[in-house]
Amino acid sequence: MESTDSQKQSKIQNGIGVQHYATQLGTFDEMHAKEGQLLPHWKYLMEAFDRLGSEGIERRRKDAERLLRETGVTYNVYDDPRGTSNPWQLDPIPLLISSEEWLSIERGLIQRVELLDLILADLYGPQELIKKGLLPMELVYSHLGFLRACTDIPKPPYHHLIIHSSNLARGPDGRMWVLDDRTQAPSGAGYALENRTVMMRILPSLFRDTQVHRLAVFFRGLRSGLANIAPQNKEDPHIVVLTPGPLNETYFEQAYLAAYLGYTLVQGDDLTVRDGKVWLKSLQGLQQVDVILRRLDDTFCDPLELRSDSRLGVPGLLEAARLGNVAIANPIGSSILENPGLLAFLPAIARHFLGQDLKLPSVATWWCGQSREREFVLNNLDQMVIKSINRTAGSHAIFGANLSQDERRDLSARIHAKPHLYVGQQQVSFSTAPSYVEGQVEPRHAILRTFQVARDRDYVVMPGGLTRIAPQKGTFVVSNQAGGVSKDTWVLASEPEKQVSLWLQPQRGQRIEPLAGPLPSRSAENLFWVGRYAERAEASARLMRTVLQKLQESREFHDPNDLACLRSLLPALTHLTGAYPGFTGEDAKEKLEDPKEELTSLALDLTRDGSLSFTLQSFARGAFSVRDLWSSTTWQMVDKIQQKWRHTQEPQKIGFGRLEDNLNRLIINLLAFSGLTTESMVRETGWLLLDIGRRTERALCTIALIRATLVPRHEEVVENQLMEAVLTTSESVITFRRRYRAFMQLPTVLELLLLDEKHPRALAYQLHKLQQHIQVLPREQSLHRLNPQERLILETYTDLRLTDVLSLLEDSEEGIYHKLDAFLSQLTDQLWQLSDVITQTYFSHAQTSQLGEPSKVEEEL
Amino acid sequence: MNYRVIHKTVYEYSGPVGLCHNEARLKPREIPNQKCLNTEIEIEPFPTDYLERLDFFGNRIDYFSIQQPHEKLIITATSEVSISPQQNLFEFGNDLVWEGVRDRLRKDLAPEILKALQYTLDSPMITVNEALAAYGQTSFQPGQPLIASVRDLMHRIYTDFTYDPEFTTIATPLAEVLEHRRGVCQDFAHLAIACIRAQGLAARYVSGYLETLPPPGKKKLVGSDASHAWFSVYLPDNGWFDFDPTNNKMPTNQHITVAWGRDFSDVTPLKGVAFGGGKHKLNVSVDVSKISG
Repeated sequence: MESTDSQKQSKIQNGIGVQHYATQLGTFDEMHAKEGQLLPHWKYLMEAFDRLGSEGIERRRKDAERLLRETGVTYNVYDDPRGTSNPWQLDPIPLLISSEEWLSIERGLIQRVELLDLILADLYGPQELIKKGLLPMELVYSHLGFLRACTDIPKPPYHHLIIHSSNLARGPDGRMWVLDDRTQAPSGAGYALENRTVMMRILPSLFRDTQVHRLAVFFRGLRSGLANIAPQNKEDPHIVVLTPGPLNETYFEQAYLAAYLGYTLVQGDDLTVRDGKVWLKSLQGLQQVDVILRRLDDTFCDPLELRSDSRLGVPGLLEAARLGNVAIANPIGSSILENPGLLAFLPAIARHFLGQDLKLPSVATWWCGQSREREFVLNNLDQMVIKSINRTAGSHAIFGANLSQDERRDLSARIHAKPHLYVGQQQVSFSTAPSYVEGQVEPRHAILRTFQVARDRDYVVMPGGLTRIAPQKGTFVVSNQAGGVSKDTWVLASEPEKQVSLWLQPQRGQRIEPLAGPLPSRSAENLFWVGRYAERAEASARLMRTVLQKLQESREFHDPNDLACLRSLLPALTHLTGAYPGFTGEDAKEKLEDPKEELTSLALDLTRDGSLSFTLQSFARGAFSVRDLWSSTTWQMVDKIQQKWRHTQEPQKIGFGRLEDNLNRLIINLLAFSGLTTESMVRETGWLLLDIGRRTERALCTIALIRATLVPRHEEVVENQLMEAVLTTSESVITFRRRYRAFMQLPTVLELLLLDEKHPRALAYQLHKLQQHIQVLPREQSLHRLNPQERLILETYTDLRLTDVLSLLEDSEEGIYHKLDAFLSQLTDQLWQLSDVITQTYFSHAQTSQLGEPSKVEEEL
Repeated sequence: MNYRVIHKTVYEYSGPVGLCHNEARLKPREIPNQKCLNTEIEIEPFPTDYLERLDFFGNRIDYFSIQQPHEKLIITATSEVSISPQQNLFEFGNDLVWEGVRDRLRKDLAPEILKALQYTLDSPMITVNEALAAYGQTSFQPGQPLIASVRDLMHRIYTDFTYDPEFTTIATPLAEVLEHRRGVCQDFAHLAIACIRAQGLAARYVSGYLETLPPPGKKKLVGSDASHAWFSVYLPDNGWFDFDPTNNKMPTNQHITVAWGRDFSDVTPLKGVAFGGGKHKLNVSVDVSKISG
């Protein structure tokens, strides 16, 4: 078909260059069988992308970027906002795999995981492979993954290896190779799921029309596989995901998976071993854990028997596993399979165990512990990648071709000294896949990470996986740390596939007990602080906004009363944020005269305790560490609050007008967050603690504000201004006017702000809510006796209710309302006490562990 | 010869410990020339969980946890053993040449040999390097019997190195021990094992006790003994032979074997993780005495 010149022109401008897609000589390309010839299963997809044009694709790429950020995939609160963190990037062009080819890959993967499972069982059991000479003893015993403490742990009914992941790549001849295996705590399945979710949102019709296999079958398999290995309580086991914590690079994925699968996300500190069983320290007391899906590396799991310097594990965990009281997936010790030396022996082991040849070959590997192989590796160093059998911090792959003469000699000497610790692997090139790079479709080298899971007797392969591509043309470096880009992987189905539900069907007659959402004490504590920080941020922002408005007025009208008013409001900001000395210190006079610098610092200085930026960061960190408990919309709001505040202002350049706009937006976002939590969280302990935090903080902030502004005596006109400022700050002006019309008087203002139980900004309202919440928190003691926190809140609340405002304003001396001050000061103390008691009662997990140091052997002679 | 050993460990904490998990390797092994007549561990406060099992190396290991708050933990292991002199090297096997042993370890798939082969490899606390290999080399002359070579190595360590409990801690690397020629029994055992493994031979670490005798005319002080450590070398068809480099002798019937492993990290007598407790103070005393048998 001919097209006119103008049509051609517009096509080139918006074209994505599919026709200019240049494959490399000698490299297999996923889209082209021969040069210039599109493989049939790519045709539909590429035509669709061509129709979208670069603008259309770019828009979708941006959508993907936004969606990924909002879900928190690229979120890293611990990194500098403009620093080194590499955002997760998703290429909108998926990797396609035809259904016939997938069948053979799937068969190969199932064979591989079955084989590795048998090897794992053998190495921690009879060690026939070593006795029969199929695996050299040195290769196993020198590997740091062979954990001698794990030889007597009972095995689950069908399989030991529950989750397995392989990195696949296609060689120049078009065959798929296995590059390596992940067996101790494979990561990436959650990212694959997240990529899929995003793809379905940015390209819904393309996804639907392409007939892609769904991923849910894998996650269903994982759920039933984990339930299967539960040593007890199989019908409804308590399963937790053990994470190294929010500092871990794949923490997002762990939280995401836990939330998706409905498991409790826990850190080592949340678990305890008692009576040989593993328990979750939850707000409801200790709850037995049946299965642990761990994302912690082997040696970190138990500081008693493994790495004693691990602060991430659970002391006694191995003993509990040994007693058969808990199942761990994958079993501790499975990193023995992450040994590149194994690859050299897999073909023979496959024949021994299965009587089969490997369906998916591994990358060619020679173990240097054998003399002939060693000589071969050293003689062909140019084509070799040399690896240590142990993946440790200092060890990395060495490319033989890049070595100088001296380096070669050095490497050769190292290999000769301890040959059994090294392997040589053929340096492989892998195929390219079409990728969307700066407006064009270009070939990039790609690796596919696959996931296998033991459902019960059989293994299920995730139909798809995580494809990662090298960001630069012609390079093979594919890693997330190096800023890699990922792709969704579409395995084509021969017919449309029905959506599989993740929900399990209970067996007939089985009664599912509603799990009252066991809340780890650590999560409870984080929620409490999220509530406090959110509220503190809001209170600070509100007061700061009032201050800015007042400053503006004083500049416009030059009213001395405005200045007098500011002399109270600015110190109030210091008291409320706790960022001392600020407007209260020795140099307060200059700061009060020219408050700009101090105000900017209070708003934006991240390094300063109490500044808004600091409070918001603390809020986000707390929220991030309980990422699994938020709905996706709520989390988007957490992200938005942080992003909007941090990324849109330069402290040096910001003017008060801009700052005020930002404060307005921040207040609205914080209100949206609080609204979302109110409307989407179940009224269980988690929400109760969030709200207790919020109420406690609001009570404290209200008191701080009143003490700093209205407790000192002022001239009437200044006092009026201050009352109005306080009412504005606490969003109570309208209510006050409706109730008391235009009569601004201190007793009525105090009545509204302190005693009105119906006013959500009033102190009495906070105490009333606190009392209600505290009564329904889980408790150990009998219902007939008050526990310390109930006693405290009852006392505080009663004190407040019995108060007569007028009497608090009597006998003022030395320019302050002395009785009012004493009363508010006493309330503050009581509230802090309450906070302490709640911490002790519910968050006392904080007890840290210590190691009984082994003593040096000494003898007397 | 019969002995009674009392090994007492006291942890004192500045605050209460709410929960602790512990592992003890304090009970003597049963071996051909050592019979364990009686052994028990007393723990105060009384543990909630207590389980005995054998570890990977066949050592007796006691796991226990205490769930009640405590500020003091006392572990007393009392054992009675009977030792008969063995190590009869002069009858047979003593002339096996070390190179022959080295090669046989790598050719033979016999279970005994495979088991011994693991003790030729580096271990958590013993990484062979050139300097260690060079030091040991002198003792392994071509064509020499293994036992004679190891005896020579033991003798050299005994004469070249100074016993100095002030110099090393548990974390002192072997390189430093070699450089300064100082250390204690544990360092000397580790050093000898490194030298032997550097030659491709199998050597393991043995922990136990040795009776100490008071100076002539003086009364023995209670608790003056201590744990001791030495090493053992594998000779195919003959088994393992012990050497004590700290005392320059091959143990006969005064060394009480508790446990063995690749190095000290496999046989730590007592380790634990405690929750709470603040600072802790540790006090260990050992008494070895002859008893009539």
